[in-house]
Amino acid sequence: MSLLLASLGFGLVTAAVLALATVGFTLQFAVTDVLNLAFGAVMIVAAYVAYWVNQAGISVWLGLVAAAIVGSLLSLVLNRFIYAPFQRRRTSSIALVIVALGLTLILEFGLQAFVGGTSVSYQLAQGPTVGSGGFQLTVVQLVIIALALAAMVAVHALLTFTRLGKAMRATAANRSLARTCGIRSDRVVTVTWLLSGALCGVAGTVFAVDAGSFNATSADLFLVLILAAAFLGGPGKAYGAMLGALVIGLATEVSAAYISPAYKDVVAFVLLFAMLAWRPTGLLGDRA
Amino acid sequence: MSAEGAAPRHPGAEGQLTAGAALTLEGLTAGYDSRPVVNEVSITVAPGEIVSVVGPNGSGKSTLLKAVIGIVQVLGGRVRLDDQEITGWLPEDVARAGVGYVPQVDDVFPPLTVRENLEMGGYLLPTREVQSRLDEVVTVFPRLATMLGRRAGKISGGERKMLAMARAMMLHPRLFVLDEPTANLAPAVASEVLEEHVRGLARRGATALIVEQRARAVLAISDRTYVLAGGRLRMEGSPEELRSSPQFVASFLGGSAGVADIVSESEPGSPP
Repeated sequence: MSLLLASLGFGLVTAAVLALATVGFTLQFAVTDVLNLAFGAVMIVAAYVAYWVNQAGISVWLGLVAAAIVGSLLSLVLNRFIYAPFQRRRTSSIALVIVALGLTLILEFGLQAFVGGTSVSYQLAQGPTVGSGGFQLTVVQLVIIALALAAMVAVHALLTFTRLGKAMRATAANRSLARTCGIRSDRVVTVTWLLSGALCGVAGTVFAVDAGSFNATSADLFLVLILAAAFLGGPGKAYGAMLGALVIGLATEVSAAYISPAYKDVVAFVLLFAMLAWRPTGLLGDRA
Repeated sequence: MSAEGAAPRHPGAEGQLTAGAALTLEGLTAGYDSRPVVNEVSITVAPGEIVSVVGPNGSGKSTLLKAVIGIVQVLGGRVRLDDQEITGWLPEDVARAGVGYVPQVDDVFPPLTVRENLEMGGYLLPTREVQSRLDEVVTVFPRLATMLGRRAGKISGGERKMLAMARAMMLHPRLFVLDEPTANLAPAVASEVLEEHVRGLARRGATALIVEQRARAVLAISDRTYVLAGGRLRMEGSPEELRSSPQFVASFLGGSAGVADIVSESEPGSPP
């Protein structure tokens, strides 16, 4: 029983990190029509920004703010100079995926050339452990969960109650129709890159905090989990991404405890395949 | 049969929704990837007029409307709204100029609620005016009042079309551009949309350019009608004039001949 509780605790933390990343990733995909596989690479660049801030003797939580800003700006730059020009030339979706993969390699190995191949860690005390029985979480882990919850509430409020959020959903649903309503969809897309990039930066930092140590290619496997969570929830569905992150996060950690940590990513994809076989549009996707 | 001579049927009607604008297409050529689909089309819509364009599938009717609202590339000619040239404007700028568009398909935002769809229709209104405008529009389409919280993707085809028209109405458009408002609707629902809602726009003095396949039904609500076939205008006239044209009757009102007769026997723009 305590093993189950412990793995649920780890699962919640993984789900929190995954939710931050997946919501950003899926918002980006829904509104911009770009399956940005360089998302993981941007996460790691942002994580390094937080690391450099942290190395200067500043709290990693302030570094997280810098990481959010850099994630935001880097995402905007990638769109402005890489994705948008290809989209204007009506490059096919599959070709854009190849472009994104190329960008991933450029960013990761460019970063590796700069920072070296060894892993680094933040200077961060984990704080006391709280909980009872097997369910134990450190203060830092609780902060990660709280951050994710706050971000999810903020995203929900943005999409549900604000004019910008509704315009984002309208643009995601039918960009052409949105434009005929007077919505400047290019601006909506720009704002979406900024917001999702900020989530990417935050996710990169908390991913690095949760992992303990990281290097330039650490997010490669995590990107696979992001994809699994995004498609499990329904591609382009923000609430689906939250749900998908929770399911994948819990499933991977529980399976790691009961089967083997080596198979936890396999479990994520078995879940995804089963879901797609049962409901191809994902948990919260529209039925075909 | 020229537009200049046509007296709008509904000027100053009570409950007028909008101050209509005049739309003028002068030799409009438009298409995709620099390949023209419609060629040198000239159409005028006077303020307060309901003008329809009928024609067979593939004649370029939807392309014509999309060129007007900026979705399709204009390759030649001009589009004017009152005295302002809007040729090649972006769709968002055409909306700002006062054109409300209802597409043939994909006419609502399915994941958004009915209320949110209407709010998107009023996107350009000052925030404080959106709710009052929504209330006004819902009085025109009372059935929508009962479904404001429902997702637009879950309502029926007729309700979606109603919502699409209501959404277009949110901005107080000076011109409505309606692309086959009865497409994919059951006959009874199609009649309701045309008879109640499109005619309702007319009663309120709206200016509208409508593309429609159901020629008989659209003639009943139009001030003037153009016939488009093969990407070119083939006929133009009042409903009475077209109903008395053997070619038009044969092609669109159930006669034995086909549209090919209009294309082969008529010169572009000539009267029936």
